[in-house]
Amino acid sequence: MSAFKFVLNELKFSAKDRTLLLWMAVVLGLSSLSVGFGLSEVHSQKKVIENLIVSDRQDRIAEQGKLSDWGSAAYYNFHLTYNSPSGFAFAALGQRDEQPWKHRIRMLALEGQIYERDVGNPSVTLIGRFDFSFLASFVLPLVLIVLLYDLRASERTAGRYNLLESTAARPASLWRLRALIRVSAVSMCLLIPLVFAGWFAETDFLTLLSASTIVLAYAIFWSLVCYCFSAWRKSGSVILMTLIGIWSVTAIVIPASARLIVDRTVALPSGADILMLQREAVNDAWDLPKDATMKPFFERHPQWAHYQPEKSAFEWQWFFAFQQVGDQKTEALANAYRDGRLQRDHIAAWVSLIAPPSLLERSLQSLANTDFNASNRYESEVRAFHRKLREYYYPKFFNHEAFDKAALERLPEFNSGAQAAQ
Amino acid sequence: MNQILGVAADEWRYWRRSHLALGGAIVFLILVISTSLLNMLRIDAETHARSQNQTQAEDTFRAQPDRHPHRMVHYGHYVFRAPAPLAIFDPGLDFVTGQSIFLEGHRQNTAMFAESSSSADFGGLSYLSPALIYQLFAPLIIILLAHGAIVREREAGMLVSLLSLGLTGSRLLLGKGLALLSFIVILLLPLVLTCLFAVARGETFSAVLSLFGAYLAYLLLWGVIALWFAAIVHKRGTALAALTGLWFVMTLILPSVAVNIASNKAPVAGKIETDLALLAEQRGLGDGHNANDPAFAQLRAELLAKYGVQRLEDLPMNFRGLVATSAEEKLTTVLNEYAEKRMAGEVHQEQILINHAWLTPSLAISFVSRSLAGTDLAHYHRFQKEAEALRFSFVQGLNRAHAEKVSYEDDINRNKSEASWQRVRVSAANWQVLGAYQFQTASLSDRISTSLFSLRILLIWLLAFLCLFLWSGWRIKP
Repeated sequence: MSAFKFVLNELKFSAKDRTLLLWMAVVLGLSSLSVGFGLSEVHSQKKVIENLIVSDRQDRIAEQGKLSDWGSAAYYNFHLTYNSPSGFAFAALGQRDEQPWKHRIRMLALEGQIYERDVGNPSVTLIGRFDFSFLASFVLPLVLIVLLYDLRASERTAGRYNLLESTAARPASLWRLRALIRVSAVSMCLLIPLVFAGWFAETDFLTLLSASTIVLAYAIFWSLVCYCFSAWRKSGSVILMTLIGIWSVTAIVIPASARLIVDRTVALPSGADILMLQREAVNDAWDLPKDATMKPFFERHPQWAHYQPEKSAFEWQWFFAFQQVGDQKTEALANAYRDGRLQRDHIAAWVSLIAPPSLLERSLQSLANTDFNASNRYESEVRAFHRKLREYYYPKFFNHEAFDKAALERLPEFNSGAQAAQ
Repeated sequence: MNQILGVAADEWRYWRRSHLALGGAIVFLILVISTSLLNMLRIDAETHARSQNQTQAEDTFRAQPDRHPHRMVHYGHYVFRAPAPLAIFDPGLDFVTGQSIFLEGHRQNTAMFAESSSSADFGGLSYLSPALIYQLFAPLIIILLAHGAIVREREAGMLVSLLSLGLTGSRLLLGKGLALLSFIVILLLPLVLTCLFAVARGETFSAVLSLFGAYLAYLLLWGVIALWFAAIVHKRGTALAALTGLWFVMTLILPSVAVNIASNKAPVAGKIETDLALLAEQRGLGDGHNANDPAFAQLRAELLAKYGVQRLEDLPMNFRGLVATSAEEKLTTVLNEYAEKRMAGEVHQEQILINHAWLTPSLAISFVSRSLAGTDLAHYHRFQKEAEALRFSFVQGLNRAHAEKVSYEDDINRNKSEASWQRVRVSAANWQVLGAYQFQTASLSDRISTSLFSLRILLIWLLAFLCLFLWSGWRIKP
């Protein structure tokens, strides 16, 4: 029997295999469902951002009546910051249900504002969305397990095993071929909707290609595991349960215990401490001599050091200086909080090497710009934008520039950097 | 009856000899016990930290020096949400919701610092809790034990002889069911044990009992499903593969698909979105900082008429304080209206989610469990409402001090000199308006009534499969 005929026969056999067809349909359906929902979620998030940009602007214009000087402009003007979903976010929504991706900030101390969490229904976050990354990382292995565990055992119980072994020219290659056909069929059903959705969402080609490649590699990995175990001379149920055991350990037990251990070993300053310290610093300043505020402020901004605060009256210069000094005082804590989270994520990246489902999910999220790094980048963007606001207003305050409402048109605007990167 | 017990005893004997069943059960128990311990340690540490933070926040507020009362309105206060006692079994939303809210005048802030947002990220299934293990893995162990129940005898050709010996199909099934029931009760022992620790932390026995009952119903349902399958198929392999497929569709796929559907069907507007809408509405209410705001002209005219005076200076109270009080009240009404709307939106979304429990019992049990444990959305809303009530009460307390203890004349001239700053200060004794706060779960009857909807769905599932199971028992064929 020629190799070609051999393959053809096996293909014909698989085409009649109802279990395989059923699972192919299930995977195709689930994959379409996941990318469909992903696309619609991304669409609505973009819509929300678009609407917010408009109403944020309208609000600023409507508030203009309140503004009588640069100080009140800085006090009353809120500014929208946001992190737009990338072109691949539909496949892995990742941290977008958990980490804030929009803020409205103003010139007050930033530490009091940046931890605001405008996220949705916590039940949604807890259960988690059915996105492509979830399907590929957690469900795909189970489908492969169900399809491959009794590759040999089922033929053995059907009484065809010995017949097949003796008629096939190379018995081992028969099982390999059968496994290969099943895996490729299921992987195709998984990836075709992804590719279509990617084409629809104008995802960057390289991103789509790398995502497909790693998903394929992942499918091959699980197939190899299943294939090896299916050769085990045990009953089908023992093989199946062992494989599900392996899935449970790598998909749930290792990630969950690693999360506990990592959180315990990498200590973070408590968020409450950052906020309390910041509030104390800002509020104490009202009662302290102005010099106590201006000195640390001038250390950061020596260019305004010539400024002489008035002894007792309220001045915006002083007000915003102590807002900034509030941030300065919490800087160490806030940095420790950020670095601690980065370190946790860094360790998680290494640990996920022994938990393939986490590894795949993390990789897809990183391709989609929805991982922790992306939300951290967004946080830095917000900080940078806040700095820009300060740089805009400080010269107006300290140089006593005349108030000019028209100049408010030239206020810095937030540009989402992640928008450009796919 | 003896026959039924005999069948049950035989089943136990079979399980004891089967390495697979035994191994699975032992792994499950180890997993559930270690998770319970770890979770308990974590929740206890959290409880301790948050209650300490709460006391510290209250002490700092009350220890503030004499100052202008409005300064204290902006100084603000923090509340912390202590975990519910049963969070040691089902932490529910605790992990993904903010733990603390900053309370200040003129604003309702969001709850900040959810643990999940600073935790190491390992993806969707890594929030392991004892409750999740019961929802996810216990059904698998039950499938492992029950899938061979009758199909095993059928495959070995023993069913003919068993049935010809006078054992009826229904007795055979009941016997197997009894064995499985006793096994399920054993599986639930760690749950009871963990929950008893919650009793030591202030939970009632009846809550533990209802939680036990809910999980018993859930696991029984899976037992019945598995036995029913085992009674109707002809090959063990088919039973196991089909049940495993059913398991991961029900526990893994359908709940998250339901999340997609619910969030798609009933999107909830975010806080910034509603805040902006609110700001637009609020523009008519007047700025409480500015007593000259035309919005307060009416209040001003009324007060002048009431006390028969010409000038604000002659009022017995500080007009600025009254303005602050009135503005805060009006604003809070609007804020609460919007907050209620947002919460109603979330509840609506959640309701759509719960409706999908008709498709999968694992959604039903997760909602029942969270509600009974006091870690559900209703409790998160309860926290937000309590925080808001506290915010309003201390802000208005401070505004009262502003109106009654600071003279209007001093108040408008406060920026003139150092001495005028001193004159508008009120004594720190006024900071005692701040009430103590401790988050507590709702009463058990409230919790049960929230859980009733999903509980009913769960019980209907159980009843339906029980009927199916008994029906197939009468018709059992070799």
